[in-house]
Amino acid sequence: MSALLAAEPTPHLARIADRLQQVTVEISGAGGGGAGILWAPDLVVTNAHVARASRVRVGLADDRQIEASLIAADRRADLALLRVPRVETAPADSTDSDTLRVGALVVAVGHPFGLRRTLTAGVVHGFPVSRSGGRWIQADLRLAPGNSGGPLADTTGRVVGINTMIAGGLALAIPVNDVRRFVAASATGVP
Amino acid sequence: MTTAVDLSNALAGAVERAAGSLFAVHGRPRLPSTGVHWRAGLIVTASHTVEPDREVTLTAPDGRTLSAQVAGRDPGLDIAVLRAEVAGMPTADVHDDGELRVGHLVLALGTGPRASAGIISALDVRGGRQREPGAMLAVDLTLYPGFSGGPLVDVLGHIVGITTSGASRHLQCAVRASAVTRLTEYVVRGGRIPRAYLGVGTQPVVLPNDLRERLKLTQRTAVIVVNVASDSPAAAAGVVIGDVIVSISGHAITEPGDLVAVLQPDRVGHTVATSIVRGGEPRQMQVTVGERPSRG
Repeated sequence: MSALLAAEPTPHLARIADRLQQVTVEISGAGGGGAGILWAPDLVVTNAHVARASRVRVGLADDRQIEASLIAADRRADLALLRVPRVETAPADSTDSDTLRVGALVVAVGHPFGLRRTLTAGVVHGFPVSRSGGRWIQADLRLAPGNSGGPLADTTGRVVGINTMIAGGLALAIPVNDVRRFVAASATGVP
Repeated sequence: MTTAVDLSNALAGAVERAAGSLFAVHGRPRLPSTGVHWRAGLIVTASHTVEPDREVTLTAPDGRTLSAQVAGRDPGLDIAVLRAEVAGMPTADVHDDGELRVGHLVLALGTGPRASAGIISALDVRGGRQREPGAMLAVDLTLYPGFSGGPLVDVLGHIVGITTSGASRHLQCAVRASAVTRLTEYVVRGGRIPRAYLGVGTQPVVLPNDLRERLKLTQRTAVIVVNVASDSPAAAAGVVIGDVIVSISGHAITEPGDLVAVLQPDRVGHTVATSIVRGGEPRQMQVTVGERPSRG
């Protein structure tokens, strides 16, 4: 929502945008594609529908392309974890998504229609129940194909969710608390 | 560094404060709309979301179901005022909306609560069926299904209007809080919102250029009377079928909807100067506006 950006003190949002763009990767590969989040120096999280092959290409903010291998995918939860060669970029900060409130300002970074690392802003719309019985973060925020797998963040720049779907013009994101549990479960036993 | 965080917290706080006075209004099949507890016992919603002759129920913020009666409607502003036993429930923090400016950040809310954000895009929606200047604002935000009748909230959490997607085909609109309060005051004082009534049926008509030039009219269209109800204010004033109504009290009448817009509740009992054209000649008539019997 451009109106919100206009109403915002730009330097602050620009700093957040800059930081989020650093941790937003581009994922391409067989039958999939979209965005991802640099979760750890050697881990990327994204949607399962974005990382559909066991090996995918990951584009970093400095334009480098690296190979990634799929460690875990949960099609039902639509989450995937990728291993990448260690990178220097500091990984994303995340926060407790349960503290998010309706009306709070949020921003998303992704590659809508291939426009790399585009920032969009809006507000939290609600927390509808998902198929799995959990909750979505629903945001009044303009997303497009290419945003999938990318970060939804609060005004401190911390990731609160992974943008996953668009329904009725609203963005649906998986809360980052669910992502954290998925990563913890998937990374167990992985050296 | 904290400004955006403060703004975000202010918006979330505004939603939280307003949410306590929101009701789901079940006045049409399927999709409920949103209502605001405007003053003790009176819930305001969008008129188009409450069908006539239908039992209306409300779902309170605490989940309770209550029955409600339509106390009055203003179809021109798309506002309905409902009456319900809501003792003890908080009323909305309705605020003097004179300070609203184009570009101000606002939220629209639905029950849940659900939120949508944007800006005030115009302070005065002209054309269509709008009447008192400034009663209807245009907002640049998305009114999601079920939002109609819900509050327009500023960043301080004050309720500054009621949103409706039913007032205009092209714009998202909000009725100013001051106009909504005026309507609720009719209900408080007289138990209803009076519906002004002339007793004419009309059709739009294009005014010939030579007639416009001769009568110095800028409007291209007016309305022609095709029906006059017996014993109506129009009949009493001498209006006959075929009269072309050009203006009422100085407001141009270019389509039948303009009559609805001019006939505000406070016109009831007052005499309005009506300019007509009969047989190609202008005439002034004095019509005493009556009140339409309410059908709920």
